[in-house]
Amino acid sequence: MESESFLTSVRLTVMTAARDTGQIPDADQVARLLGATTQDVTAAFRHLHDAHAAVLEPGDPTRLRMANPFSAVPTNFRVFIGQQSWWGNCIWDGLGIIAALGGTGTLATTCPDCGEPGAVHVGGHELQDGAGIAYIGVPAHKWWDDIIYT
Amino acid sequence: MQLFRSEEHLQRWRAPRRPSPGGEMSLETMWKLADAWYRDRLDPAWRRKSAQEAEDLFRQLGLDGEYWTFDR
Repeated sequence: MESESFLTSVRLTVMTAARDTGQIPDADQVARLLGATTQDVTAAFRHLHDAHAAVLEPGDPTRLRMANPFSAVPTNFRVFIGQQSWWGNCIWDGLGIIAALGGTGTLATTCPDCGEPGAVHVGGHELQDGAGIAYIGVPAHKWWDDIIYT
Repeated sequence: MQLFRSEEHLQRWRAPRRPSPGGEMSLETMWKLADAWYRDRLDPAWRRKSAQEAEDLFRQLGLDGEYWTFDR
């Protein structure tokens, strides 16, 4: 079952669960929430991966490593909004979590060079405080060759 | 994509690791890109940007050249 509406339902179920819990649900959890089969949700995960809307966990097609901008695993990009927190995949996605969840929040990271902690504060979709240079070492046409590395 | 304290920190980290300069931007630009890219991500009507739409956004933010171009 890979109709467009089912894919949208799976995507939104994943995203809202990530928003509400800070955890990316696996195929079993999404299947229960939607009243669908794990097999159908696993197929939808593959479709979302192929469409670059999510990233499968290597070696486990029933789990997602990324439901962009959310990360299923701890990273160097921790986002705080109110009492909740999430992991972003990178600085782009960490700030993307703030953008997707109302435009107000704080991102904590460390400088890869010196390890010094830093914070970025955003309010009302405007950058309020923070400094630094964002860097990507992979050109756009190669981002999805190895998106976990990117 | 990572966030360095300054250009000096970025260049010191990059020099022994990456022969090419890569892509870099100010934190302000990074925020604008993240906001434009992800603001509607939880919207049921969200759809993935086409390569052209993504490149147009990059250009609006001053990110141009081959580094910010997708294969067609």
